Amino acid sequence: MKKYIFHIDANSAYLSWQAVYDLQHGNAIDLRNISAAIGGDKSKRKGIILAKSLKAKQAGVKTGQPLFEALKVCPELTIVSPNYQLYMKCSDEMTAIIQTFSKKVERFSVDECFMELSCENPIVIAYQIKEYIHKTLGFTVNIGISTNKLLAKMGSELEKPDKIHTMFKEEIMEKMWPLPVNELFMVGRATYKKLTKYGINTIGQLANSDIDFLNQIMKSHGRLIWHYANGLDSSPVKKDNRKIKGIGNSTTTPFDVDDIRYASLFILSLTEMVAIRLRANNMMCHVVHVSYHRASKGGGQGRQRKLITPTDQTNTIYQTALELFKEIWDEGPVRHFGVRVTMLNTANIYQRSIFDEKNLEKKRRLNQNIDLLRVKYGSQTIKRASFIASGINNVNGGVHDNYPMMTSLL
Amino acid sequence: MKILMKSVDMICVSNKDGKISPIKYKFVGKDEQIHIVKINRILERNEERLAGNRMYIYKVMSIINNSQRVYEMKYELATCKWYIYKM
Repeated sequence: MKKYIFHIDANSAYLSWQAVYDLQHGNAIDLRNISAAIGGDKSKRKGIILAKSLKAKQAGVKTGQPLFEALKVCPELTIVSPNYQLYMKCSDEMTAIIQTFSKKVERFSVDECFMELSCENPIVIAYQIKEYIHKTLGFTVNIGISTNKLLAKMGSELEKPDKIHTMFKEEIMEKMWPLPVNELFMVGRATYKKLTKYGINTIGQLANSDIDFLNQIMKSHGRLIWHYANGLDSSPVKKDNRKIKGIGNSTTTPFDVDDIRYASLFILSLTEMVAIRLRANNMMCHVVHVSYHRASKGGGQGRQRKLITPTDQTNTIYQTALELFKEIWDEGPVRHFGVRVTMLNTANIYQRSIFDEKNLEKKRRLNQNIDLLRVKYGSQTIKRASFIASGINNVNGGVHDNYPMMTSLL
Repeated sequence: MKILMKSVDMICVSNKDGKISPIKYKFVGKDEQIHIVKINRILERNEERLAGNRMYIYKVMSIINNSQRVYEMKYELATCKWYIYKM
């Protein structure tokens, strides 16, 4: 028997989960059949589109788009606020069903799983999984079958919804190479721009280009995507992939921010949330990343910096984030801020430095006590004076705990 | 049958095996009067896990307005709520 890797991906996950839940509760309208989207809060004009229906997609609604922009392109759009607890439940149930087929299952993100199975006929098994999920949980999935994780994932992305695709090594020339290069896993906006500049527009062109040349222009990332374009990947299906790789929060502002005072308050409020989560996990971070989206022109920027020593201090993270923001901000109006920390280590043992701020231990204890107060009596219990009369929440951003976001590592 | 999904106050029995059976329920009708309906027979029991949300579905028989009606009720495990599902 041969070993196969399956990639199971829920079709427009949040939207179809919400639609099934609503139908179960007697809602006459199936969100999947109208122009509908999940995301944000319509009344506060806040948030972004997290998932959309096929009809909304045809009208030009895109994932990640701010709500007000989506409503401009599709005024009849029905917007439903996200219910993360429901999505976790759906995700857990989907994983549980997949685990009845194989013991080696890796939850790659909230709506995707990898499964390793040795069998004679993988297509029959895939149909069984697809039908079982549809019958029991009420939503459709796409399944990609191959011999490694990368190709299985590329396979499940082919044609949607409710489809099964194989993507074996001998099929990549026909199925994967004609696709535009930004369809390849790990080719994002910035990489896509770089590649098209050098005339690489399809995955096939990338696969047939010189690896040394890619190494020269993009270092290790260039080598990685060259391997991916050639269908080469040897990463194993990891059974437990719940290790936290980074903690981040972002928020869409209720108004355009063009003043450094407000910008710094938003960054501080996000940093508060990130630092609370960091300390709650008993971790320290080594890298701070800040990003923003412009209000009018679209697009945005991000930058990160490695600290000299790891930290879990709100002030240190905030100062670094603000410094980075000042470096990248073009002083135009901003609509979205994000703060993220990565390279996480345990807070039990950590490196000290002669450049550490004074009374570090005392400050750590202070932060821990503030966290305790906030957990017990709410985030508004104790706040920095700078937030008074600013109209901005002193702690901003939030997502359901234990929520597995997608990672960029296979 | 039409989907109603109307929540009701229910008296039910949970036996020693954990099997739950509806006995009688109370609801406010269109006339804003309180109606009490007895479940005469349970014809079918099913379970659904749509969107990962477990619900028991009962096909039941009751006398409503002096006529015998067969309809469906739902019990949502996560919230402990009873609904008239289809009638």
